[in-house]
Amino acid sequence: MSVERIKPTDFTLTPAAPAPRPNFDNEMIPKHRYVSADYMRLEWERMWTKVWLLGCREEDIANPGDYLVTTIGKEEIILVRQKDMSVRGFYNVCLHRGNRIMVGEGNATSFKCQYHFWEYGIDGEFENIPDLETFPQGAPPCKGLREVKCDTWNSFVWFNMDPDACSLQEYLDPLQQHLEPYHFDRMVKVSDMTVEWDCNWKTSVDAFNESYHVQGIHPELLYFIEDKDVQIDCYGRHNRYLVPFSTISHRVEETTEIPHLIKHAMKEAGMNPADFDGRVTEVRKALQDFKRKHGPEMGLDYSDLNDDQLTDDYHYNIFPNLTLNTHADDLMLFRQRPHPTDPNKMFFDIFIFKLLKKDEPRPKKPRHEQFRHGEKSLGLVLDQDAYNLPGVQAGMNSDSFDGLWIGDQELRIRHFHHVLASYVGS
Amino acid sequence: MDLRLKGLKVAVTGGTRGIGNAIVHLLADEGCDIATCGRAPERIDAVARDVAAAGVRFHGETVQGRDGDAMRQWVRNSIKALGGLDIFVASLSAGGGSDEERYWYRNFEIDLMSAVRGVEEALPTLRQSQNPSILILGTMAASETFVAPMAYNAIKAALITWSKQLSQQLAPEGIRVNCLSPGPTMFKGSNWEMIRVARSRIYDNAVRQQPTRRMGTAEEIAKAAVFLASPAASWCNGAHLLVDGGYSKRVSF
Repeated sequence: MSVERIKPTDFTLTPAAPAPRPNFDNEMIPKHRYVSADYMRLEWERMWTKVWLLGCREEDIANPGDYLVTTIGKEEIILVRQKDMSVRGFYNVCLHRGNRIMVGEGNATSFKCQYHFWEYGIDGEFENIPDLETFPQGAPPCKGLREVKCDTWNSFVWFNMDPDACSLQEYLDPLQQHLEPYHFDRMVKVSDMTVEWDCNWKTSVDAFNESYHVQGIHPELLYFIEDKDVQIDCYGRHNRYLVPFSTISHRVEETTEIPHLIKHAMKEAGMNPADFDGRVTEVRKALQDFKRKHGPEMGLDYSDLNDDQLTDDYHYNIFPNLTLNTHADDLMLFRQRPHPTDPNKMFFDIFIFKLLKKDEPRPKKPRHEQFRHGEKSLGLVLDQDAYNLPGVQAGMNSDSFDGLWIGDQELRIRHFHHVLASYVGS
Repeated sequence: MDLRLKGLKVAVTGGTRGIGNAIVHLLADEGCDIATCGRAPERIDAVARDVAAAGVRFHGETVQGRDGDAMRQWVRNSIKALGGLDIFVASLSAGGGSDEERYWYRNFEIDLMSAVRGVEEALPTLRQSQNPSILILGTMAASETFVAPMAYNAIKAALITWSKQLSQQLAPEGIRVNCLSPGPTMFKGSNWEMIRVARSRIYDNAVRQQPTRRMGTAEEIAKAAVFLASPAASWCNGAHLLVDGGYSKRVSF
């Protein structure tokens, strides 16, 4: 059973037509990229320090002086809103003896190191060096904190540690056209978590870049998504797949009762499953029509989204480490960050944003929580992934394993490695 | 034992899937002409092919069970196509659902009223039959607390009560009315097949209460159903037969 998708003549702002299929070889992907400390060092030198990375949400640093410290590998970056409302980023390193200056997030009139009270303005410039006269060489010859490139796009703050980096706009191309119709700025953050996982950051990226694992790891999703008839598109550095939701997998038989996850999606949209007389495979289209018709009266503006986007998962990887499950009503954003030294460990950030209905009270900003794998549930589906990943990493470390044997359903993994190798080498 | 079904004309609601479908197959194998209805045209076509292999007459239509007029029209069309009617089997169901008031209306229309309307339309023709009988499919969940309090369980109870009283009314005319209540039943494309994968805890809980640790098959239900509906069950009238592999724990005195 093939899934019906929007036709080329239907309204869409996000490109929906399949991109040309890249011509990759079928070589095994060498496992050292996942387990080798040497490769990890090269990744740091040649990739992490060269690419645009997501730092935080604009609303996290809404007002002048609002700052947030973000961590990538061994580095910490202070992202801070300026008086002119621009955003700047600085290494969180005191120029005196190297101490970390700021922790977490908050509002500051200056950045003051607590070791010897060296103080910097929110523009990074020296404001006060106590007993400066006792430094015969004077203050360091620079103006203050070392700055990183910073820019904003689609409600998010980004940074790049490479002074010679291309612009953020150039880096993201062509995803602006894909993702701006979702208007992430209209969504609010409802969840903000970091989990420490015992696997390489790419082991996690891979797990979200293919739906081939659904039958094994998420069997209940067979009654909510189509996992095989999935459109995969690769663009420059980035890639995506389009996964039909609110339908059933071709791997299972259609039932008379609507599966509970599909019922839930209908109810979320205000559609009563008890009044739906069509078949299970007819729900997806009916739900699209319902949301198109009733969205505005619920205060939900779907006018820039195509019909498929009203039900489906437009799932993007922004190279290297961002996984975006974009939906009409929410964004589930995952950020994979490497451990500073251990290729077998990583940090998995979960940010969930929700489109609010008209007059729906804005929820309180969630507190960032950080914990170890297994200490807290991430919800059934993510728990299933999380419990599987350490086993994948352990197996990759085995002498008996040579590399990843990748199929067409995993084309995004192959594309990702193609881009990775273009930065790091093979 | 000869069920004496050969040549009889049978209409089965919801005969494109599961238990209804198994009943259709068994009846066709016994030599009955078959009429059925369901929602999916491709399934009607599949039943037509299967039944053709048995060499009996077939009439199939897509019908939405909530549509009373369509249901009555299908019965009339079936009688016309088969040239009469001896047995009516009400097997159509909307299945379960909770937490929405509208499920009461859904089960009322599809589980209860499709049977009532079908029987009403069938009765004048059944009265002309030499071997008339009506079989109503209930559920074990009507007489046993099961999964959750919901419209499906309670509306099926109404159906069972109605079938019993109907049997008293029609007995003098020689029309037998019986009811069969299946326990949890597994077949390809069944809701339980979905629940086993999608809500495994509910499935595990149901199977744990089954003394044999398995669910029934559609064929196991159909065999009892076909017997009850057949002339061989001439002294079964107003019966309510639980076919649940021992799921229910009560003693039925």
